[in-house]
Amino acid sequence: MYKLSKQEIIELQNKRLRAIIKYAYENSSFYRRKLSKIDIDNIRTKEDLKKIPFTTKDDVRDNYPLGLLAVDFSKIIRFHASSGTTGNPTIVAYTKKDLENWTELCARCLELVGVTSNDIIQIAYGYGLFTGGLGFHYGAEKIGAKVIPTSTGNTKRQIKLMKDLGTTVICCTPSYGLYLAETAKEENIDPKKDLKLRIGVFGAEPWSENTRKKLEENLVENAYDIYGMAELTGPGVAIECKYKNGLHVWEDYFIVEIIDPNTGEVLEPGEKGEMVITTLMKEGMPFIRYRTRDITILEDDPCDCGLNYARIMRILGRTDDMLKIRGICVFPSQIEEIILKTNGLSPHYQIIADREGVMDKLIVRVEVAENFKTDKLTELVMLQRKLEEELKDSLGIDTVIELVEPKKIPRSEGKAQRIIDLRKIKGLL
Amino acid sequence: MRQLSIFLENRPGRLANLLKVLEENEIKVLAMGIAEAGNYGIVRIIIDKFEKAIEVLRNANMAVNQADVIIIDLDRLAEVAKLFGEMGINIDYAYTMNDNKVVLKVDNEINAINILNNKGIKFIV
Repeated sequence: MYKLSKQEIIELQNKRLRAIIKYAYENSSFYRRKLSKIDIDNIRTKEDLKKIPFTTKDDVRDNYPLGLLAVDFSKIIRFHASSGTTGNPTIVAYTKKDLENWTELCARCLELVGVTSNDIIQIAYGYGLFTGGLGFHYGAEKIGAKVIPTSTGNTKRQIKLMKDLGTTVICCTPSYGLYLAETAKEENIDPKKDLKLRIGVFGAEPWSENTRKKLEENLVENAYDIYGMAELTGPGVAIECKYKNGLHVWEDYFIVEIIDPNTGEVLEPGEKGEMVITTLMKEGMPFIRYRTRDITILEDDPCDCGLNYARIMRILGRTDDMLKIRGICVFPSQIEEIILKTNGLSPHYQIIADREGVMDKLIVRVEVAENFKTDKLTELVMLQRKLEEELKDSLGIDTVIELVEPKKIPRSEGKAQRIIDLRKIKGLL
Repeated sequence: MRQLSIFLENRPGRLANLLKVLEENEIKVLAMGIAEAGNYGIVRIIIDKFEKAIEVLRNANMAVNQADVIIIDLDRLAEVAKLFGEMGINIDYAYTMNDNKVVLKVDNEINAINILNNKGIKFIV
């Protein structure tokens, strides 16, 4: 059903775009204000979208809790919320139709990576206000897979259930995936031998190609990246196919634009910038030109898998995760890439930004692996220097590496807290 | 002789923690050397219960590594160092041990042992 030609996708997109703009204008006072200066009959294709102002996280916050609602409240049957680190959370409301569509998207994603009704799927994303747990849950049920709704936490029990029930698919954050592998080894379970995990669906935080390598070496046969966020229904907006060369966006449900985050100008495919998404099918709370704050690249060339949906590349980071160190933009993913390819280190790290006098300082704390290679201090010092040099080459700024003992970096069951900006805490920014 | 080396952060209390774990498990330290580099260091130890020490230290979340070392009498160190020097064997590091002994880590253990045997110098490996 969703295997459409490029032409069919574009026609469907344009038809649905016209419909959602009209729908939002007629049903939401927020969008009526936003679109007041625009002739909405002139918005006919993706290219016309640039005439419309962006919708931002601040819009959502300023209209807390439900100012973006576009249906009668009686039609709402579910709420989710994304954790606001400051101020109000972002609350999203779903109609019955919204939940059906979301289920369809999650089912498509799982199907695309090869999940079938024979699979036993363990969902270790949080159930509750966070969209991860319930989104995958309904998608997996739609496929007819056998669902183990473990939610987050109780890592030893997660592993026991994997072993005893023969879990074949795991859904969780990539950092929790690494933690599961580590904990399994402590329990004398070798996931690659003693467990049957064929597929891992990892999302909710940006991760790197080297993390994929670690996950595939230590936990699952194939690790796939999935993208989504509460405002856009939840997980299921985009997912990798088996070629693992970018995440296919379900363009019959979403329109993706990439913009320059500073000027707002729309960029060409292949150019790096902030992703802006328009939801084409959401009823309860449509989002038109929503600034996701996620940084990526859109690629529209054909994929070997035969699907004609454009792909977004791995999320490089969020505009708000981006650290400005001495005026240079640094993304945690750039640092992760280098740490993970270095032998003798664990994949757990923390990035600390600080300021001494007027100078910004970047410190990366990383654990030595439990079986670190050498008894010679010089080799450890050389490892540290090599890491500092590689980071300097990649980031363009001096970085201090702090080697710490194993298990000294806090582990996370949900999204990893990898950045500590002491400049913010000290009120220097 | 097998030596354990343990990565420790260079902060107050870290060495105490290591020794506490060993003591609690009735493992006796026979020799110890510490090398430090800025905010971390390596502690090298010779202990009486080798396998058990690895297990308890790993369980205590410590990064542990092992290496082969040679133990000789301290009185003969000057002589041995001279011999090794002449044969192009480098002593990477050394630290003293109780009973008037010294622990040596060399870059070519097989050659080192051959020389000690040829010269009739007592050693433990």
